[in-house]
Amino acid sequence: MGMFDPIKGFGVTFSTMFKKVVTEEYPEVKKVTAPRFHGRHQLNRHPDGLEKCVGCELCAWACPADAIFVEGGDNTDDARYSPGERFGADYQINYLRCIGCGLCIEACPTRSLTMTNEYELADDDRQKLIFTKEDLLAPLLPGMEQPPHPMRLGDNEQDYYVNGPALARDLLAGSSQGQSNAESAVKGAGK
Amino acid sequence: MVDSLTPVLTKRWLSPRSWTIKTYEQLEGYTALRKALGAHPDQIIQQCKDSGLRGRGGAGFPTGMKWGFIPQGDGKPHYLVINADEGEPGTCKDIPLMMADPHSLIEGIIITSYAIRANFAAIYVRGEALHCIRRLDGAVKEAYAAGYLGKDILGSGFDLDVVVHAGAGAYICGEETALLDSLEGKRGQPRLKPPFPATAGLYASPTVVNNVETIASVPFIVNGGSDWFRTMGRERSPGPKIYSLSGHVTRPGQYEAPMGTTLRELLELAGGMKDGIPLKFWTPGGSSTPLFTADHLDVPLDFEGAAEAGSMLGTTALQIFNETVSVPWAVMKWTEFYKHESCGKCTPCREGTYWLVQILQRMVAGNGTASDIDTLLDVCDNILGRSFCALGDGAVSPITSGIKYFKDEFLALCDKNSAVLAGAH
Amino acid sequence: MTLAPEKSEVEVPEGHVKLVIDGFEVVAPKGELLIRTAERLGIVVPRFCDHPLLEPAGACRQCLVEVEMGGRPMPKPQASCTMTVADGMVVKTQLTSPVADKAQQGVMELLLINHPLDCPICDKGGECPLQNQALKHGRSDSRFHEHKRTFPKPLPISTQVLLDRERCVLCQRCTRFSAQIAGDPFIELLERGSQQQIGVAEGKPFQSYFSGNTIQICPVGALTSAAYRFRARPFDLISTPSVCEHCSSGCAERTDWRRGKVQRKLAGDDPEVNEEWICDKGRFAFRYATAGDRFTRPLVRDAESGELRETSWTEALQVAATGLAAARDAKGVGVLTGGRLTVEDAYAYAKFARVALKTNDVDFRARAHSAEELEFLTSTVLGTTPDNGGVTFTAIEAAPAVLCVAFEPEEEAPIVFLRLRKAARKKTKVFHLGQYTSPAVEKTFGTLLACVPGGEPAALNALEEHAADVTEALRGSGSVILVGERAAEVPGLFSAVARLAASTGAKVAWIPRRAGERGALEVGAVPNLLPGGRLVSDAAARSEVENAWGLVAGTLPTRAGRDTNGILVAAASGALDALVVAGVDPFDLPDPGLAQRALEFAGFVVSLELRPSAATAHADVVLPIAPAVEKSGSYLNWEGRRRDFGTTLEGTGALPDCRVLDTLAVEMDADLFTQTPAAAAADLDRLGSNVAEASAPTVSAPLLVQPTAGQAVLATWRRMLDNGSLQDEEPNLAGTARPVVAKVSAATAVHLGLDLGADITVSTERGSVTLPVEVADLPDGVVWLPGNSGPVTVRRNLVAGHGSLVAVAVSDGPSAEKSASDRGGNA
Repeated sequence: MGMFDPIKGFGVTFSTMFKKVVTEEYPEVKKVTAPRFHGRHQLNRHPDGLEKCVGCELCAWACPADAIFVEGGDNTDDARYSPGERFGADYQINYLRCIGCGLCIEACPTRSLTMTNEYELADDDRQKLIFTKEDLLAPLLPGMEQPPHPMRLGDNEQDYYVNGPALARDLLAGSSQGQSNAESAVKGAGK
Repeated sequence: MVDSLTPVLTKRWLSPRSWTIKTYEQLEGYTALRKALGAHPDQIIQQCKDSGLRGRGGAGFPTGMKWGFIPQGDGKPHYLVINADEGEPGTCKDIPLMMADPHSLIEGIIITSYAIRANFAAIYVRGEALHCIRRLDGAVKEAYAAGYLGKDILGSGFDLDVVVHAGAGAYICGEETALLDSLEGKRGQPRLKPPFPATAGLYASPTVVNNVETIASVPFIVNGGSDWFRTMGRERSPGPKIYSLSGHVTRPGQYEAPMGTTLRELLELAGGMKDGIPLKFWTPGGSSTPLFTADHLDVPLDFEGAAEAGSMLGTTALQIFNETVSVPWAVMKWTEFYKHESCGKCTPCREGTYWLVQILQRMVAGNGTASDIDTLLDVCDNILGRSFCALGDGAVSPITSGIKYFKDEFLALCDKNSAVLAGAH
Repeated sequence: MTLAPEKSEVEVPEGHVKLVIDGFEVVAPKGELLIRTAERLGIVVPRFCDHPLLEPAGACRQCLVEVEMGGRPMPKPQASCTMTVADGMVVKTQLTSPVADKAQQGVMELLLINHPLDCPICDKGGECPLQNQALKHGRSDSRFHEHKRTFPKPLPISTQVLLDRERCVLCQRCTRFSAQIAGDPFIELLERGSQQQIGVAEGKPFQSYFSGNTIQICPVGALTSAAYRFRARPFDLISTPSVCEHCSSGCAERTDWRRGKVQRKLAGDDPEVNEEWICDKGRFAFRYATAGDRFTRPLVRDAESGELRETSWTEALQVAATGLAAARDAKGVGVLTGGRLTVEDAYAYAKFARVALKTNDVDFRARAHSAEELEFLTSTVLGTTPDNGGVTFTAIEAAPAVLCVAFEPEEEAPIVFLRLRKAARKKTKVFHLGQYTSPAVEKTFGTLLACVPGGEPAALNALEEHAADVTEALRGSGSVILVGERAAEVPGLFSAVARLAASTGAKVAWIPRRAGERGALEVGAVPNLLPGGRLVSDAAARSEVENAWGLVAGTLPTRAGRDTNGILVAAASGALDALVVAGVDPFDLPDPGLAQRALEFAGFVVSLELRPSAATAHADVVLPIAPAVEKSGSYLNWEGRRRDFGTTLEGTGALPDCRVLDTLAVEMDADLFTQTPAAAAADLDRLGSNVAEASAPTVSAPLLVQPTAGQAVLATWRRMLDNGSLQDEEPNLAGTARPVVAKVSAATAVHLGLDLGADITVSTERGSVTLPVEVADLPDGVVWLPGNSGPVTVRRNLVAGHGSLVAVAVSDGPSAEKSASDRGGNA
């Protein structure tokens, strides 16, 4: 045992003292994830606020952990939640089971289900970790209207799907101008 | 002098009031009937077989053989049904015949019914041809009054009732089994064969379905004999035939000529191409038969001749187009017809014609691409021989033959389109 | 050129041909379709329009194959669903022929060009032949860049069938089913070409009792069920084989469920029984079991409040046992089991009555019944099975002639009706002894032998004299007489049937309306029989049963007990102290008032029930029991065929009757050994059967009372879709029930002064009903009413039955139908 040996042990300590700290200041400072991080799910909306989910249950089928439960419902003239015939009447994701694999969002035929970067999914109550449709639905952005309401962007679901990208672009571009562009896109498709 | 163009079927057409029984009787009318009623039915069938008469509705099936298929002594009623649902584009021979000389058809019906031992015959006429239905009705009434129809015809003990039935204007009802369904009051869609109409036709009883022109030929065979009949036309397709010429000819109309006459000869009769503009393409037997071009002017127009040249005789409806006509446009129009007339029973015809029309319309509008031609041909290939009845086969004939002979014209439409696109970019 | 192969080892039997499919030599019966022969070889040719039970159509063209005949290839690919096998044929399917493969892919592409991309929202998605086929044989991308054909959707073609014309591939399975199998051509092809579509006539919805089958055989999602719409996805459903609990046909079914809830029922495939069809009641009526008012806990009547209150099983069983034991030791207990029990449950009741209650007062007949009926059942029906020469579905199909007596096949046993129709379409002559040319008579191409209600025995006796062709036809080997439950209302009819059968040699089958009746008869839930067809009056049989049950010799009561009516009269008059009632609705009985008095006056009533009923309203103890889907067991169908089924929904905690009775018996110091349906079945098997010989009844028909002026004889029977409690909670199904109308003959209408569209009032001294009236070919002086439809409940309103005299008059007030709709319906 040499004389420097007791100090040797501090080598790492000393060298680290002058480096950038790696400690996360969580939860005071939230960690920013990679953009494609598989976080909490979100059920998206069409630009007028109608839900994109059609209740097809493909996400539930794709789920390897059996964490998703969906039940379809029938849109009526009086109560419309999505364009077309069918909507997701009941939608639950059990985050006690979810493994964040993302197979569900790949299965989604309408891009209704996507994943956010939200990772704070802990609770002290098991019941609270079963997220329902209300928890999962995307917030209403300006120009959106809480369903049920009639289709605002066209006469049928074709208008929503065919012009979906244009509508989404316009929505990002800004609400007032976007509105008119979306309308012209709809009209263009009608020709 | 009797030359090859002495009319037989149309010989009374120019006589004054040729459609009346009086005129008809003056011009040898109902003499064949008397002769026939004196013979044994089997002798008449044999005579028809000997004459080599082939069906004039398009398929060219030997008529005598068809009659021979009717089982005799089976205890079931037999029926004769006349297919007068003339609907093939360009075809215009049966309606003029029934307008000008309805009694020749009725006499033929009586003789045929006697031969096949049928006591009921129906004439299924295209519903749109109301004038024709009226004339036939009048003629049938006259024949009843004169004792040629009804009970104990001319004291022979043979009974026959004839009904003139108006169709509802569907092209598919020209297909014999669809016609029978329609006649029974059902939806006019082709039936599954077998059983063939000869064993289970109208009301599931043995039935002969013949074209108007075929049956109108019968009295002449009975009167003139099978050998005389064979002096006309060609070995395997004997007899006279009414050719309907339409389109860009100087004098369009019906021209009777022996089987095997060429278009060149017929054009001479019709005064040549209209305004002297050269011939570009033509159909030998309606739009369901593959197109011919000017190279086919000397094709003998009988069943064998047309087939050897890659088409079909069909109904000898010669639609003649001069060089001012765009082939893709004409093909599109024909295809629109088939889409409209497809009965919808089988997938290839129902969906295929729906698709073909949209591609052709897009191409004609200048929005086609070269790959559309491949798609057209492949879709045609998926319809041809895959459909339930011959309507599907007929629907693709103009397209495949049009592309075969005039592919450049189709490509030109696409070139224009790609040039426009190239210019835009 | 035909080359006879030297090495032909395969023997070709008579009536068969030999052909080659994809290189495999195969022998097939003449007339077999190529597609089936290929299937037997394990070569599946894709198809849409083809269905083995429908006539070939050749419409979809998906099954094209290459065929070579006599060494010459046919110029076009042939539809293998329409072409029959022939000797020396060489067939190449898509597996070996590029031409066939290309043709099939081409057709698939054409089918898809107009098909919407609805799979995620389509109820068929996941079990769709088109979807499967497209994934297997279709292209991965589409060459179709044009406009798809669109239609408004969905289009309800009845209250329970929705039509999506965009998805339809026009295979015509539904129209062919309706025209050929059901005989209800309400749906037809409309328009032509690419606009061709399935449709119904205006104002004439798809009101067929069998419409649900079209949903099942639809190869795409064009026809969907309103009740199942968006309920579940096939891949999330668990399918359990089951047996229908409604009528006595005993159809094989498939129950699809998820998360403890039945989502739908489909027809099972049983060629011996229901082939691949079931009626709409069997398919759609199952939500009664999940009705909100279903009992989940035992109830006892509170001594103070007089109300039923929930309690523990322990208390309820104890109260029940104490009450029943006291009554048994006093004047006795009567047991009414109802006609809807499984064999195992009925056996438990029969054994419970004998062992725990020491009585023969047990009867399953919760409907009009007679001693003559019981004699007939004992002598003629008891013990017949398909194995010992009993009448079967297949026997009906093969019979040269069938006579239906007091039996309305389409309404009472729909699957029997389908077989009758199938038989009649071939060669079977069908005769109906009834009152008018009902739809079933028409659709079985039947001959109506019309008689006045009550005049059926006379009509049968006079058959030889007045309709010798009928008796002649019945003499044909294999002929069948089918007699329905209505016969019990006509004195002398069962005797006449037995006489006719004896004189013609025709076989007889009894077709009750309810699923449990035949089984209950065999296991002795009747006053005169012990389980296994043993007569109560037979000492040897009694001791056999005592032995098997481990009873002291002489324990079993020796005298035949009371029948349902006797039990009710005794209870109402105080001659019985208690009643055990299961699944009995007083309004099914000839005298509902008597039943209600009996329930009221009986000192102690134990009711084993699913949901509140008139019996539970009077019960002292209500014991909840399991519906059919929550238990296992078996039904004995009218053929005597055992139809076993397992538990569909496990672990719901609901107990079958046999288990409840077993525990109750233990409380009463008796052992039934029926803890589970399996144990009950084993106990019954140990006992075995020893069917008693008995002679047929010889009751002579009483003279008919002639109606006086203003009177008519009532003809009535129940319809398949009516107010039955097993059809509760099914509004979509109820919408396809037939309209509630009375029927009279034209002469009677004139006699009554009925105008077109006028309503008729039918009344007895007990009540009246008013409803619209139609003219039918009834005998004069007869009025027909539906038994229990809408506002017209013959038992409840009129306290009358088939053959009763009723007063008829033109109505001056609003009809019951109208007033019922004002009230919001009564179904």
